[in-house]
Amino acid sequence: MKMVSFVLRRLCFSVAVLFSVVTITFILSHHLGGNIVAAWLGKTASLHPELATLYAVKYHLNDPIWVQFYYYIVGLLQGDFGYSPSRGFLPVLTVIGETLPFTLQIVLIGFIISMGLGVFLGMISARYRNTPIDGGIQAFYLAGYSSPPFFMALILLIVFANIFKLLPSGGAFDPNLAMPTPIIGIPLLDSLIEGNWAFFISALEHVLLPAAALALVTFGVVTRLLRSSLLEVMRANYIRTARAKGLDEDIVFYKHALRNALIPIVSLSSIILTWLITSTIFVENVFAYPGIGQYLVTALFDQDYPGILATAIVFATVIVLGNLVVDLLYAVVDPQIRLG
Amino acid sequence: MNQLSNEKGHQRAKIGSFLALIKKKKKATVGAVIVATFLLTAIIIAATNLLGIQVTPYGALQQNTGPPLSPPSFSHIFGTDLVGRDVFSRIIAATPNDVSVGISVVAVAFVLGILIGSIAAFKGGLFDELLMRFTDVIFALPALVIAMVIAVALGPGVLNMMIALMIIWWPPYARLARGEALKIFHQNYIEAARISGMQNWKIIVTHVVQNIIGTMLVYATLDIGTVILMYAGLSYLGLSVRPPYPDWGEMVSSFKDYIITAPWLPLAPGFVIATNVIGFCLLGDGVRDALEER
Repeated sequence: MKMVSFVLRRLCFSVAVLFSVVTITFILSHHLGGNIVAAWLGKTASLHPELATLYAVKYHLNDPIWVQFYYYIVGLLQGDFGYSPSRGFLPVLTVIGETLPFTLQIVLIGFIISMGLGVFLGMISARYRNTPIDGGIQAFYLAGYSSPPFFMALILLIVFANIFKLLPSGGAFDPNLAMPTPIIGIPLLDSLIEGNWAFFISALEHVLLPAAALALVTFGVVTRLLRSSLLEVMRANYIRTARAKGLDEDIVFYKHALRNALIPIVSLSSIILTWLITSTIFVENVFAYPGIGQYLVTALFDQDYPGILATAIVFATVIVLGNLVVDLLYAVVDPQIRLG
Repeated sequence: MNQLSNEKGHQRAKIGSFLALIKKKKKATVGAVIVATFLLTAIIIAATNLLGIQVTPYGALQQNTGPPLSPPSFSHIFGTDLVGRDVFSRIIAATPNDVSVGISVVAVAFVLGILIGSIAAFKGGLFDELLMRFTDVIFALPALVIAMVIAVALGPGVLNMMIALMIIWWPPYARLARGEALKIFHQNYIEAARISGMQNWKIIVTHVVQNIIGTMLVYATLDIGTVILMYAGLSYLGLSVRPPYPDWGEMVSSFKDYIITAPWLPLAPGFVIATNVIGFCLLGDGVRDALEER
C-alpha cells in the first residue's frame, strides 16, 4: 500500500517535471519575438513563402502565446511534435525515431562500462587503501571526471582511431549493411536477436569509443563514493563480528561489506545516467554519431524550434524515467528506506 | 606482551594517520597552486586588457606570428593555428572567461541558495513545501539542455552563458542550505535570539549563514569545476564568444578537424580546461578535509 502511494507520488512529480520542461522551453523558444516564422523556417522562409503561411496556420502563430502553447500541448498529447526545418521538414517524431535508438545504445553501453569500471576500481581502491594502487586509481578518476566529455572523446579518437586504427572514427555502423528490423528499438540488440552478426559487430565497433568516452568522464563518481562507503562499512560492528568469527578477510570484504556498501551506488546511478545522457551531446558531435544529441545541436543552430522543444522533452523524459526507475529500485534494494 | 603489540599498533596507526595527513595536505596544496595560477592569470589578463598592455607572448588576435599550423616549439609553445595565431597566447587570453563564469555562477547560486533555503526553513508550512517542490522541479530539469535553450534565446556571449547557468544552478544550494538551517533552527540559541526580539533576517544573517557557510563552501569549491566544465561545453557548441575572440571550449571545437595533421591543437585547450577543473577539485577536497579535522 505504502509502495503504491510512493509510486504514485513519484509519477506525479515526474509529470510535473516534464510539464515544466515543456513550458520553460516553449516560453524560451518563443522569447525571440519578431518574425517567428522566419526564425522557425530559417533560410527556407524566403524561398518558400507558402510554407510561411502554412506554418503560421499550423502553429497558430497569429494567436497569443498561451493559445499557441495550448495547441502545442494538445498536439504533443496526440503525438504531433510538428515538422523539423533542420531535417528537410520531416515530422519531428520521425527524426526522433531515427536518432534516439542510436543514442540509447551508446548511453546503455556507456552506463554498463561506467558502473562496471567504477565499482571495480572503487573496490580495489578501498581494498588497498593508502597504497600506491589507491593513489593511482584516485589520480585516474580525478583526471577522468575533470575532463570535458568532448576532450575525452577527442583523446580516444586520436589514440584508438587515428594512431592505432583499432576502431572506426565516426558513424554508427557500416553504411553498406542494412539496418535490422526493429524489435526492441535498439539496433545493437535487434541485430543480436535477429542473429545479424555482421551488423552487430559493426555497430558494436562504432559504439565502443563513444561509450568509453562517456564512461571515462563519469565512472569517477562511482569509484569515489564506493571507496568511502566501503571504508565506512568496514568499521561497522557486524564486520568486526565477522572478523572475530575468524572469517577470511577477503570473504569479509567481498561478501559482507561490499553488499551493503553498494546500496548508495544505486541512488548515485541516476546522477550518472543524467550525466551520461547530457554528455552524449558532445560525444556524438566528436564522433559524428547520428544520435539525438547531434539532432539537438543542428536544431539549435538552424533555429529549428519544433526540433529543440522535442529533443529537450525527450532528454527530460529519458532522465525522469531513469530517475523513477532508480528510485523504485532503491526502495526495493534498501529495506530501511522510508517511503515518505 | 599484549600491551606491547597494542602499543606498536597504536604507533603504527599514528604514523599512518600522519602520512595520510601529509598526503591530504599535499593534494590541497597542489589544488591551491593550480587555482591560484589560473586566478592570477585571469586577473592579470583582465587588468592588462583594461590598460591596453600586452602580456602574452603574441597578441591573441595577431595573425602570422609564425608559419600556419606550425608544431609546438620554443617560440610557439602550443603551435600556431591556420592563420598563424599563437595558440598559447590565445589560451592565456581566454583565461578570464572560464574563471569568471565558474566563480560568478557559483557565487550567485550560493547567495540565492542560502536565501531561498533558509527562508523556506524559517517560514515552514505550505510556503516551505511549495518553494521546495519548485526547487525539486528545477533541480530535476536537464541542466545542460535548459542552459542551451536559454543560451540560444538570449543569444551567444560570455555574459549570456553566465546568466543562463545562474538561472538553473541554485537548487542544490537551496536544498543544502535548507537542510543545514533546519538543523540549527531547533537549537536553543536561535529560540533565545527570537525571544529576545531579534528580527528574522538578522537571525538568518548572523546565526544561520555563519553556521552553514562551512559545509556549503566545500560544495561550492568542488562545484566551480563543474560550472567550468558546463561552460566549456556551451562554448564548444559555439554559444559563447564570437570569433575571432578566443575561448577554450570554442578552440577545441574549431581545431577538431586537425586531429590528424596537428593533434596538439585541440588537445592543448582541452588539457587546460581539465587542469583548471582538477585544481578546483583538489582544493575542494582539501577544504573538506581541513573542516572535518576541525
